[in-house]
Amino acid sequence: MLEPMRTTPDRADVLAERVSKAFIVDDRRTQALIGLDFQIQAGQFVSIIGPSGCGKSTLLRLVGGLLAVDGGRITVGGRSPQEGRRAKHFGLVPQTPALLPWRTVKENLTLLPRLNHGQGSRVMDDERIDELLVAVGLARFADSLPAELSGGMQQRVSLARALALRPPILLMDEPFAALDEITRASMRFLLLELWRDTPATVMFVTHSIEEAVLLSDRVLVLSSRPGRLAAEIVIEIDRPRRHGIEDADSFHHHAALVRASLDRATIGADPAGAS
Amino acid sequence: MSNVLRARRSGSVPADGGAVGPGRPWFGAYVAPFVGLAVLFGGWELYVRLAGVSPLTLPAPSRVIRHLAAEPTFYLRNGWVTLAEALLGFALALTVALLVATAMAHSRSVERATMPVIVLVQSTPVAVLAPIFLLWFGFSPTPKVLVAALFAFVPFVSNALTGLRSVDQDTLEVMRSVDAGTWEVFWHLRVPHALPALFAAGRICVSLALVGAVIGELYGGSTEGLGYQARIAQSRSLVDQLWGSVLSLAVMGILLTLLVMALERRLLKWHTSQSTV
Repeated sequence: MLEPMRTTPDRADVLAERVSKAFIVDDRRTQALIGLDFQIQAGQFVSIIGPSGCGKSTLLRLVGGLLAVDGGRITVGGRSPQEGRRAKHFGLVPQTPALLPWRTVKENLTLLPRLNHGQGSRVMDDERIDELLVAVGLARFADSLPAELSGGMQQRVSLARALALRPPILLMDEPFAALDEITRASMRFLLLELWRDTPATVMFVTHSIEEAVLLSDRVLVLSSRPGRLAAEIVIEIDRPRRHGIEDADSFHHHAALVRASLDRATIGADPAGAS
Repeated sequence: MSNVLRARRSGSVPADGGAVGPGRPWFGAYVAPFVGLAVLFGGWELYVRLAGVSPLTLPAPSRVIRHLAAEPTFYLRNGWVTLAEALLGFALALTVALLVATAMAHSRSVERATMPVIVLVQSTPVAVLAPIFLLWFGFSPTPKVLVAALFAFVPFVSNALTGLRSVDQDTLEVMRSVDAGTWEVFWHLRVPHALPALFAAGRICVSLALVGAVIGELYGGSTEGLGYQARIAQSRSLVDQLWGSVLSLAVMGILLTLLVMALERRLLKWHTSQSTV
């Protein structure tokens, strides 16, 4: 089990009130998100699903303080996203592993905790690194370069790197989208296993209905651009969720609910989304 | 499935059918580079001997090598002068290019202000600046070092800018997600990311710096250096000295390029450019 050891709070909720975001590209304004309200309780696993271009990734970046809202407000554990970023509240897992190819696996894991001195900076001891590497099944590859690993292994390093920060909030942007189906399936269960041992709140962007149902406590369905909250589905499937759960009736029932909401959200929205 | 196809899928036979590959890495690394040189010099030697070409027009390589062997101190002393000018110019170009590219990579305004100057340097035949530098700095190594630096500057700055700026956006976001500072991003992400592009430029620029140093010497203001000795040899019809200087410069260029490549191989083990397959 991964022992929590942090200077930042263990848990943090996420609150979004009337959040709007627009981008201006070539003098053309594109409304990405509009009037978005939701609350995620601390420690919940929430997936965000919606049609392409509906603002899922934008939402994740707004919560993570990588972008600023145009209207409305987001708080993470009572702080602004920018304050949360400074306090290392976030563990970001993007779609690509985004590892530094010149650093070994171990060196990749230790870099982020060392950055941002004076704020959330903390040193990782070797024991903790070894523990993480064992947890993601890469104990033998500590001194390997990323190029020596498969895509799935690299994504496991990326996951371990985010967990190394012991973040109250994990932001995951389609982290398994580039993997083959077999690797992807095993990564989902690995994530569930690792998350079970942490107090982290997870926001997980995905295009996969099955992935959303398997992993989440709740699924937020966004409409086509401009993204609005079209539906919110509570996944009432007991945890721990293990291999084979995809065959259960309750799983199919929830997947059908999400699919229907997604269909309605896609049909009912303005496809252009520009103003 | 044929045996060949199966073997290829298992990775034991290279895709090109096995001409050069993992089975004979020593050939590609150590033998192949000398084959081209042997063909060139062998052909040159044969042509001179068989066609009876006058040494005043084109001496045989064996004659030039005998001359070099007879005057090693002369060529080592003059070669060192040219080498020092070239290396100083190379280092100056690299330093200034890194500073300029760093400023440009962090500010679009700086980039817009600087780019016309770089285009101006690129468009100006640098050789014509040699007499101007000679007027400014007189009989000293400085004019030669400056010409060498100008020759190497543009490839360095353009590659450094590309390398520093074109970092992976996901990686940049991961670093920004923990509020990494500009200096931390620069040091941990931008600089290592720029190294392959810098080495690619370095391989070219090391020869360009040598060319620049020689051009600086050819324009005068020197009493030493292989460029200066080549000019003297040309004016006095000292054919062996002229070709000896040319061959010495060629060898220096090859050795410097190999040195940069060896350094690149050592420092960029992680990069795909260093893959042997």
